[in-house]
Amino acid sequence: MKNWRYIIYTFITAIAILFPFYTGTYLQHTASTILIYLSLALSWDMLLRAGQISFGIAGFFGIGGYAAALTHLRWGIDPFLSIILGGLAAFFIAFLLGLVVLHLRGLYFAIVTLAIAEIFRVIVRNLHSLTGGPEGSVLPSAIFNGDPSKVYWLVLTLAIITIIVSEVFQRTRIHFATTTIRNDELVAKSSGINIFKYLVFIFAITSALQGMIGASYTHQYAFVTPEETFHIHFTLLPIAMCLLGGMYTTIGPVVGALVLGTIADYLKLQLPYGHLLVYGIVIVVVILFVPKGIVGTIKEQLERRK
Amino acid sequence: MAILETKSLTKGFGGLIALKEVSFELFENEILGIIGPNGAGKTTLTNVISGIYLPSSGKIVFNGMDISELPTHTRSKLGIGRTFQIARPLQGLSVLQNVMLGSLFGRGNSLKVARKEAKEICDFLGLGQIERGITKLTVLEIKKMEIARALAIQPKILFLDEVMAGLNIDETKEMIESVQKIRAQGISICVIEHVMSVIRELTERVIVLDRGEKIAEGPYEKVSENPHVISAYLGEEE
Amino acid sequence: MDNQRCGSFEYSTPLVYLGLKLISKLFHKKYQIAVTLVIGGVLLALWKPFVLIEGLQVAGLYAAIALPMALILGIVGIINLAHGDFMMLGAYLAYRFTVYTGADPLVAIFPVSLGLFLIGMATYRGTIKYMHGAPELIQLLLTFGIAIILQQLANLLWTSHPVSIHVGYASASATIGSFTFGTYGFVYVAAAILVFIGLFLFLRRTRIGQAALATGQNPIGAKLVGINIDRIYLLIFSISIALVGAMSVLFLTRHSIFPHVGGIFTLKSFCLAAMAGLGNLTGILWASLILGLAESFVKSFMGYAGWADIIFFLLIIVVIMVGSYRRRVT
Repeated sequence: MKNWRYIIYTFITAIAILFPFYTGTYLQHTASTILIYLSLALSWDMLLRAGQISFGIAGFFGIGGYAAALTHLRWGIDPFLSIILGGLAAFFIAFLLGLVVLHLRGLYFAIVTLAIAEIFRVIVRNLHSLTGGPEGSVLPSAIFNGDPSKVYWLVLTLAIITIIVSEVFQRTRIHFATTTIRNDELVAKSSGINIFKYLVFIFAITSALQGMIGASYTHQYAFVTPEETFHIHFTLLPIAMCLLGGMYTTIGPVVGALVLGTIADYLKLQLPYGHLLVYGIVIVVVILFVPKGIVGTIKEQLERRK
Repeated sequence: MAILETKSLTKGFGGLIALKEVSFELFENEILGIIGPNGAGKTTLTNVISGIYLPSSGKIVFNGMDISELPTHTRSKLGIGRTFQIARPLQGLSVLQNVMLGSLFGRGNSLKVARKEAKEICDFLGLGQIERGITKLTVLEIKKMEIARALAIQPKILFLDEVMAGLNIDETKEMIESVQKIRAQGISICVIEHVMSVIRELTERVIVLDRGEKIAEGPYEKVSENPHVISAYLGEEE
Repeated sequence: MDNQRCGSFEYSTPLVYLGLKLISKLFHKKYQIAVTLVIGGVLLALWKPFVLIEGLQVAGLYAAIALPMALILGIVGIINLAHGDFMMLGAYLAYRFTVYTGADPLVAIFPVSLGLFLIGMATYRGTIKYMHGAPELIQLLLTFGIAIILQQLANLLWTSHPVSIHVGYASASATIGSFTFGTYGFVYVAAAILVFIGLFLFLRRTRIGQAALATGQNPIGAKLVGINIDRIYLLIFSISIALVGAMSVLFLTRHSIFPHVGGIFTLKSFCLAAMAGLGNLTGILWASLILGLAESFVKSFMGYAGWADIIFFLLIIVVIMVGSYRRRVT
């Protein structure tokens, strides 16, 4: 019974890998962008499963981006290595911050993550000598010299890594821990779950993923600036996608990213100025009418039919 | 041998003193009853001992170790189990998965081992159809799941907070048997109850709380004749 | 701008520390903050008077905007992440009004307040109403979505190019001795005090206000005694947005506006509401004083101007952490 699922996944992965062979550069570029947001959306969901909303995706995205850019620029570190360094930088900073702020819950934690992301941006903007200040820094060249299919494969790899991490979280005891923590901390504690430890761990890992994604983005466009690299975009879109697709699953954010990403790309052409409006509307509409997201609602309907 | 001992345990919330210098002992393998009128502090006592609240003053000694400052999850791992008065079944997990929690995290077992142990506990308590979700359980089943969840951490002591509430006569009998079976496994039990027939049947010893203080202690027959206890339940005499 | 370079920074820190210790010894807890502020204010007036003036004025602005948010938080019980964006909307409406009618921008207070009252009503009826039972997560995300909608709507309608209005009286100034300072900013202080007194009287002295207070404290109890809590929520939410609208007009007279200008005010208002504690309107006044003065103070050190933004972010984090630490220890 389970086998047909794996066959489908393998099939889809194969299509995804072979994608650049039968599509043009524009589609590859679009797909790369969608994959970036897909990974961010998924990483956001992973923390959400433990009951915590983060408004700080852009913060760790930017940390990874800047870490990768600066190590590459100043110490000539290989782009791939710098991507990993970006992830590590985000990991450690998130870990240390997490130790401090993960006693908070709900609204307070969300606001603090937003504040943290903003603080990162301001710090980066002010450290002129290190980061290039408000004008940012430009990298000597884009990774792969901008070859869109190679960029696509890089981003696809990171997306697959994120999906794997998400599935690991779903199939191991971590799933039990997060579901319990999210639903009832008292029961979690009484069952022996060290809530703080799990939250810090998940926070650090998801931030590391966001850092790596930010690093790959930086190398793709070959520049960093405080405004662009820490843009609220990178927090907003993933959240909208995750809500649309369905929270608390791996496939939800993936579906949400694919759907919203495609629509958004189309809209960008139609409405150059306000296309982000759609994300806001999506969030509001989904919360009011389809709170379980596309995937969640489908699952619910299937349960009902049984 | 006292497996659990509290020494002058006090807990205040702002101006309200919920527990006042409560000292008692729980002996190994005994079933101790904790009774008292509503608001006496029985659940608070359970909460303080299990670590949900930290005591304002006083000590809690478990197996010779001072656990007064330890966090809840550590106390659970050490072997202090409890059920919740208002049952808290966990959404999103099946009955079996609910029970697995303690084994997974309290004992650090693998998923496979936890599943096996959880099944055994459910059998032990007569809890069936464990793959289903928690939304349509009967009162008895919810209570059994609560107990099963607590048993999964392999506790040395178990606090049962009003597990008999809402059960009919047959169900109560079944529950009493289960509690005795649990004790037979070597677990020391504190039974918090309002149903006196249960107390009479299950417990060897009883402590009585009223307004946060321990006002009596001893076998149920003696305690039930204690004038202080009677007036506590009936209210102050004019 | 005050060009004084403060070389005595290193010396002042231990002095400040000793001073604070002294105050904590001499005065009862309730008065410590007030006394610190007063003494700090006097010292500032002598050392960097500009900081004091500007700090006060900006504090007034923050307070006037934060008070309505506290109202929603305390009574309706919802965190409105779109708060500052309603202000942005009001400012744009005021701008269009002024450009269209050629009248003095302050006239716009009436139509904009009314307009925002209606918009608030529509928003509540359309969305927030359904959020009462929902988990906090969902409330946050919903108002976050509304905030985005407002921002992007503004972007769409009016582009991201900043606009502003110049009014002569906004540069009014006064001179004391050799010291010149802008006086228009005190409008914000006046507004804050007005809003505060208005809310205070409304909540304590009118029947509706008292009903609102009751609803905030105990919605079920309020319903039981016959208060139509749904109507109260609608009213309070709309009033709050209307107040924000009124403030937005004042804001327009002195600042340039752009679609994202509101976000920071949402954060700052929330910070102030968190500092003051739920339902504590007076606390917001004190908190905005602290925030305003701190920001102004940091800005006055030439090299550090860019860091002034961080002040309040750090303050948010500190406040929230301290608050949660206190809650954990009990």
